[in-house]
Amino acid sequence: MSSDLDRQIEQLKKCEPLKESEVKALCLKAMEILVEESNVQRVDAPVTICGDIHGQFYDMKELFKVGGDCPKTNYLFLGDFVDRGFYSVETFLLLLALKVRYPDRITLIRGNHESRQITQVYGFYDECLRKYGSVNVWRYCTDIFDYLSLSALIENKIFSVHGGLSPAISTLDQIRTIDRKQEVPHDGAMCDLLWSDPEDIVDGWGLSPRGAGFLFGGSVVSSFNHANNIDYICRAHQLVMEGYKWMFNNQIVTVWSAPNYCYRCGNVAAILELDENLNKQFRVFDAAPQESRGTPAKKPAPDYFL
Amino acid sequence: MGAPEKSQANANSMQRVKVYRLNEDGKWDDQGTGHVTIDYMERSEELGLFVIDEDDNETLLLHRISSDDIYRKQEDTIISWRDPEYSTELALSFQESTGCSYIWDNICSVQRSLHFNSLNNETFHNANSELRELPAVELSTLPLILKTVAESGIADQMRLTELILSDQDFFRKLMGLFRICEDLDNVDGLHMLYKIVRGIILLNSPQIFEKIFGDDLIMDIIGSLEYDPEVPQVQHYRNFLKEHVVFKEAIPIKDSLVLSKIHQTYKVGYFKDVVLARVLDEGTVANLNSIIHGNNAIVVSLLKDDSTFIQELFARLRSPSTSAESKKNLVYFLHEFCSLSKSLQMVQQLRLFRDLMNEGIFDIVSDALQSQDKKLVLTGTDILNLFMNQDPNLLRTYVVRQEGIPLLGLLVKGMITDFGDNMHCQFLEILRSLLDSYTLSGAQRDTIIEIFYEKHLGQLIDVITASCPSEGNAQSSSCYGERVEPPTVAKPEVLSNICELLCFCVLHHPYRIKCNFLLNNVIDKVLLLTQRREKYLVVAAVRFVRTILSRHDEHLINHIVRNNLLKPIIDAFVGNGNRYNLLNSAVLELFEYIRKENLKSLVKYLVDSFWIQLVKFEYLSSVHSLKVKHEQFLESFGTKGTVNVSDNRKRGDERALEKEEEDYFNEDSDEEDTASASMSNTQKVQTQPQAVLSNGVAASQPSSRSVGLVDYDDDEDDEDYKPPPKKQPDTSEEDEGTMESLKLKRKLASKDREPELTKRQRLGKNPKPKESVFAAFCTTLNPSVLPNKKAAISMHSSRTADGVKNSDDVSQENDSAASRSCSNNNSSDEEDRKENEPASSRGSSDCLHGTLENRQLGAEDCPLIPPKSSPEMAVNGS
Repeated sequence: MSSDLDRQIEQLKKCEPLKESEVKALCLKAMEILVEESNVQRVDAPVTICGDIHGQFYDMKELFKVGGDCPKTNYLFLGDFVDRGFYSVETFLLLLALKVRYPDRITLIRGNHESRQITQVYGFYDECLRKYGSVNVWRYCTDIFDYLSLSALIENKIFSVHGGLSPAISTLDQIRTIDRKQEVPHDGAMCDLLWSDPEDIVDGWGLSPRGAGFLFGGSVVSSFNHANNIDYICRAHQLVMEGYKWMFNNQIVTVWSAPNYCYRCGNVAAILELDENLNKQFRVFDAAPQESRGTPAKKPAPDYFL
Repeated sequence: MGAPEKSQANANSMQRVKVYRLNEDGKWDDQGTGHVTIDYMERSEELGLFVIDEDDNETLLLHRISSDDIYRKQEDTIISWRDPEYSTELALSFQESTGCSYIWDNICSVQRSLHFNSLNNETFHNANSELRELPAVELSTLPLILKTVAESGIADQMRLTELILSDQDFFRKLMGLFRICEDLDNVDGLHMLYKIVRGIILLNSPQIFEKIFGDDLIMDIIGSLEYDPEVPQVQHYRNFLKEHVVFKEAIPIKDSLVLSKIHQTYKVGYFKDVVLARVLDEGTVANLNSIIHGNNAIVVSLLKDDSTFIQELFARLRSPSTSAESKKNLVYFLHEFCSLSKSLQMVQQLRLFRDLMNEGIFDIVSDALQSQDKKLVLTGTDILNLFMNQDPNLLRTYVVRQEGIPLLGLLVKGMITDFGDNMHCQFLEILRSLLDSYTLSGAQRDTIIEIFYEKHLGQLIDVITASCPSEGNAQSSSCYGERVEPPTVAKPEVLSNICELLCFCVLHHPYRIKCNFLLNNVIDKVLLLTQRREKYLVVAAVRFVRTILSRHDEHLINHIVRNNLLKPIIDAFVGNGNRYNLLNSAVLELFEYIRKENLKSLVKYLVDSFWIQLVKFEYLSSVHSLKVKHEQFLESFGTKGTVNVSDNRKRGDERALEKEEEDYFNEDSDEEDTASASMSNTQKVQTQPQAVLSNGVAASQPSSRSVGLVDYDDDEDDEDYKPPPKKQPDTSEEDEGTMESLKLKRKLASKDREPELTKRQRLGKNPKPKESVFAAFCTTLNPSVLPNKKAAISMHSSRTADGVKNSDDVSQENDSAASRSCSNNNSSDEEDRKENEPASSRGSSDCLHGTLENRQLGAEDCPLIPPKSSPEMAVNGS
């Protein structure tokens, strides 16, 4: 089986999507692995933290070039694997295949785009329909989204989450009682973790212009970090032109891993490497050069009626 | 596109318009009907709108497209403007919205180029004088042409496009050069031609596409793109298209225009997905897609209007002499045909689907679903899915017919069939859609739901019992109507799908489910899933119970308590130990819910029965709080009771309650006597509990319970009406230990009375009491949760895929309405629903509209630029 999986990983690395039947088998295996993970998944150092990918497959390959291949390097991905880019299917399936192949070497947590509603608007749904001719693959993948963990805790010291904090959550323990296997709700703790943003001008909590989650200020972060005895929060969710950005006196950092976001924002991307002593090193990288983007040509149907 | 004259003919419906002119009285005069085109004005380089009368070929309208902002697009089919020459308002009313948007896009692009020209006329034309004309197309000028194409800026591109289009022979000559170069192995020439052709395609001009995708040019164009200088080896696109692609004709298509369009569509798709996949920008892809879209619309609409074609198709599908192989192909064809019909306008597609239904497409699908060939079966479900997405009511009307009933069974069977490697989540999807009580109403829904519960729910439950390690589940023998064959052990994903469907049913058919669950011990059986090795199935079982609790149904809760149904969950939780995984979280969430919702009997039951096991998890705050809550209940009970609580006291109170209930039922049935004859069924049901209750003590015995319930079962066949909750004979005395719960019970009983009365009044007026009662039953779900049909259609998969999310919404509704609707399930009233429904549907269509708008804007959620309104927000808000 693992040889099958290895073959699939090789195939996905060439940006060739799997067959429906392979996707199904992969998803069922992933489900068994993910169901054992906690809402706050414990992660050991050394580990490399990555932010949003958004289906930018070739840029993710750059990421692996810069950060090292999985499983040589341990990875923590902070969600938003899909939507917007052209290769959400290949991107997510590659990450999922790696997860199934090396469950202890790579951690995937959920982003706000890992959702049925959002993916129907921002591309993943259409991409599945286009690449497979039906939305079955989308259904299987979105079912898997429901199993993804909500956050991670690195060596008890670094709390990692896609969006940010929630007024309903003051201790990590409170995250435990979320039955995460559901579509991302419109409000409540689970929603906030995936949607909130830190904001300089806000003191305490503020309304988020995104319509979900909250804005939270430095004081919220301080008291959260203090209460949970953590050094800092690492999150993604917001484009930062320099790839990463510290806020609130180094109590929270945003990591963004989609260079030239949407193929036009002109930003660089970053990943955060932590060694076994939690020493930090940001690795900044640029979008993949045009030439390295192999022919993503889809295999045309060999026959047609109409 | 392929053959100019013909494309005129086929474009007929696309470009058919009525011309209107505003007269002095402020009325719109119909000027006639014709076909609109955009073309160069005579002896001019300016473009204009031409409408040629369809009857006499006279020019109905000639309008020079102006750069001024005078055009308006109204609805989807009208373009109007104030015409400076006629000095009045003119309007074109299109037969089809696709035609309208095509012309509208063209007007806009003409305007854009006019703007550029007027802005840059001086500087630009002087600086780029060589763009006044293209070099002659010859081998020697290829470098010059390439330079012109490659180095043209945005403004030049407009000019370049015009120049290319104005030379009728440009592409013919260019492709002539390509063939020469290929014959001569002139690699440099071929590379230049590749770049020229690529550059011209990226000009993204619909008119150029029309030319180069014509039958006479397209293969050479594709050929020229085989010579990409950046790719070391030459591609073999033409060879693939000529040698490897098979055009399958399930039914010979005679119309040459249709054939030409079909082939062109395939080639344009190949062009987009393979030949230039790496090169094309979004805008060009969008234009190519719209060509494909337009072609599909033409093909489907010409075929559908060809009645002999459709008839022959169905005749062959039905004919016993057609071979299995060609029937298979016909079904595949049918699927492609239905699938392409998405390119039609909504109304036309709907009409087509209705026609196909009348031709008997569902019979064909039923046959396909019975095939041994799994691919054919899945194609059948794909066809059903297309219908469900378009208008679920078509399939629903079919399924309730005599000949349609088996189809429902086939779908259920498909859902529990092992499809090996194949994905088969479609079955669940279609069933959910058929059983959706939010989107449908009336007798049809009732019938489908009735058939489902009568014949199929048991099948599903049996699959679970057969697939779980039995722990004394000897009662697994089915008490349901239809049992096809003894189910074998099912794949875990099948079990997970069943569980999901059951959760869906709990939310959509609370009354059905309640009766059925109580009768058939469904909950116990589903909980057998906790014995499964796959943890996601264990968690699914927990979620099933959690979904039931979200209904806040006293009887189901009592049932759970009385039958110790949380035991398997607690066992699974304890067995999971200190592992912090999804099972752990799901059970803790269940505890939290029970505590926060003040489900006292459950708190008491949990702590009383399981504390010994749970105590070692007391370090978890959810477990600890449960204990604290329990103590609070005991305390508040202690302070409220003036006398020390004793068994005597309790008994006394209980007896008092019994008396009260008894009186209540007596009174009830007295009233019933005066009710209309049509209520006799109801009356029968209503009197039944009384009989049981009069047995008093015996009420809690399992035997008496089954007596009462079996009676309901009999009634079920002809009567959807369920006795009001207070009839519940099995409210167990042993379990109701505290005054609190007694008070609660009494409160419920008295509450039930009011809706009971109002209902009866309504029944008196209503000529069809049965429907109205059932309708009332079906509306306990807050109408604000009801998605309207339009939204349901457009957002099809979100609805159905969101089972879990829906459950949340509903449970939240319940949270707020908990005190009101605790147990008086039948208190909802129709007026209320009617009032709310339009509002709610308006709301959701607004949301949908917003979503689409945002999608069109392509706005970003990029927070660097503070968004005025984030599209994600709109989605989220919807």
